[in-house]
Amino acid sequence: MARSTGDDAQALFHSLRSAYAATPKNLKIIDLYAAFAVFTALIQVVYMALVGSFPFNSFLSGVLSCIGTAVLAVCLRIQVNKENKEFKDLPPERAFADFVLCNLVLHLVIMNFLG
Amino acid sequence: MATATARSPIILLALISLFLHPFLSASLSPGESPKGRRVLVLLDDLAIKSSHSLYFRSLQSRGYDLDFKLADDPKIGLQRYGQYLYDGLILFCPATERFGGSLDQAAILDFVDSGHDLIIAADANASDLIREIATECGVDFDEDPLAVVVDHIGYAVSDTEGDHTLIAADDFIDSSVILGNKKIEAPVLFQGIGHSLNPSNNLVLKVLAASPSAYSANPKSKLSNPPSLTGSAISLVSVVQARNNARVLITGSLSIFSNRLFRSSVQKAGSSTRHEKAGNDQFLTEISKWIFHERGHLKALNVKHNKVGEADEPAMYRINDDLEYSIEIYEWSGSSWEPYVSDDVQVQFYMMSPYVLKTLSTDKKGVYSTSFKVPDVYGVFQFKVEYQRLGYSSLSLSKQIPVRPFRHNEYERFIPAAYPYYGAAFSMMAGFFLFTFVHLYNK
Repeated sequence: MARSTGDDAQALFHSLRSAYAATPKNLKIIDLYAAFAVFTALIQVVYMALVGSFPFNSFLSGVLSCIGTAVLAVCLRIQVNKENKEFKDLPPERAFADFVLCNLVLHLVIMNFLG
Repeated sequence: MATATARSPIILLALISLFLHPFLSASLSPGESPKGRRVLVLLDDLAIKSSHSLYFRSLQSRGYDLDFKLADDPKIGLQRYGQYLYDGLILFCPATERFGGSLDQAAILDFVDSGHDLIIAADANASDLIREIATECGVDFDEDPLAVVVDHIGYAVSDTEGDHTLIAADDFIDSSVILGNKKIEAPVLFQGIGHSLNPSNNLVLKVLAASPSAYSANPKSKLSNPPSLTGSAISLVSVVQARNNARVLITGSLSIFSNRLFRSSVQKAGSSTRHEKAGNDQFLTEISKWIFHERGHLKALNVKHNKVGEADEPAMYRINDDLEYSIEIYEWSGSSWEPYVSDDVQVQFYMMSPYVLKTLSTDKKGVYSTSFKVPDVYGVFQFKVEYQRLGYSSLSLSKQIPVRPFRHNEYERFIPAAYPYYGAAFSMMAGFFLFTFVHLYNK
């Protein structure tokens, strides 16, 4: 039973990988970018757990800039994905312009709150 | 007319001193007495002036200007043009039902309320007026008009057996401020009516209490009911120090001040020692020094506070500042202001409740000082000194001072512990920049 579970997990992992290999390159770049942001956020949470929450506003702005970046990247990915029929009327240039504008606002707020 | 011309320079001086008062009180002038020395003495009849002359002479020898008047003299007045003419009042008129002139019960209470001193002596036939004034001061004389204090154990031995109404009392209050440093050896001879203290009045003190075997009753009639006042609940001599530091002495005996008892020898029943002289002279002289503020009068000046390391007094403190507080306290010794030395003066840093309560340390020259850290709370605080000790005039000072939080620019700009957060925020910006190029030029 345990053996077959391992096989199943492996099979699932393989199918996911092969399906992901078919993903367009620009979406993969967005995924990498979002993963980098989430990883940076995790590092900060661990750091805060180690040294304490003293400059709490700095901690919040550091973590929220990462989370915000990741969320905006995911939003962009949804909008530029060709297979997503929901946004088929939205041109990718327009989606990218929205992404840039939101990022500018986000970083403006983060810089003000950083300390 | 002659008196008016004589008084006018005095009024002029009083006016000048009134204007100079804020400047004078700021500096320490060693010879300036806290109270004046003009005393009005009201008598039932002028014979008291000679029969109690030893007491009056002791006051006069200490510099008091006694003005003797009959209690029903129509020219009596405590005030003229809104100014009090006297600094003290002695009522040796137990039988008076009505004062002459403009004086009445309310005028006497106003006199005390404005910070002047009062001595009241009642007697076996004390009038309602005197009783009411005493009641207002917080003591109640025995309501039976014929009752006097009788003590069949603590009486003073005399040649005739008598009715034991002349009693030898030696239950003094334990306070060297009120009764002087020298112990009163001989008992005090007392003949008169007793009073009890009003329990709701916590300013009145029993200075001379009757012995536990005393009671208050009519000695001429058979005792059918238990007496209303018994034992050491009977006060023979009481004092009041009002909140404005006016001092009042109340006693149920006028004869306690008389030459007869001043000179008399005394032997308490059951005691073998016979004192050549009763304690009345020493007791009443010492207590009159206290009543007229020759002793136990404190004054505080030069309240200062500053940040540690700075000399100037700031208009405002910041939370967690270190500050220094100092105050000077002097005691009037009868002739000069002497440094007051004590180890229990405390200052409060107060906002609705004391946040800091510190005992001040003294340099034995009158300066009390301490230093403490402002609490981590901002708001409008007060430096408060509330000093109330038995026999001493009360000190109550407060000085308001605001405490502010850190200003926006008083925090550190870059905190080392926050560098990872700064790094994360800037790496996100750099990542965004890079991603923009990669996304646009990757086709």
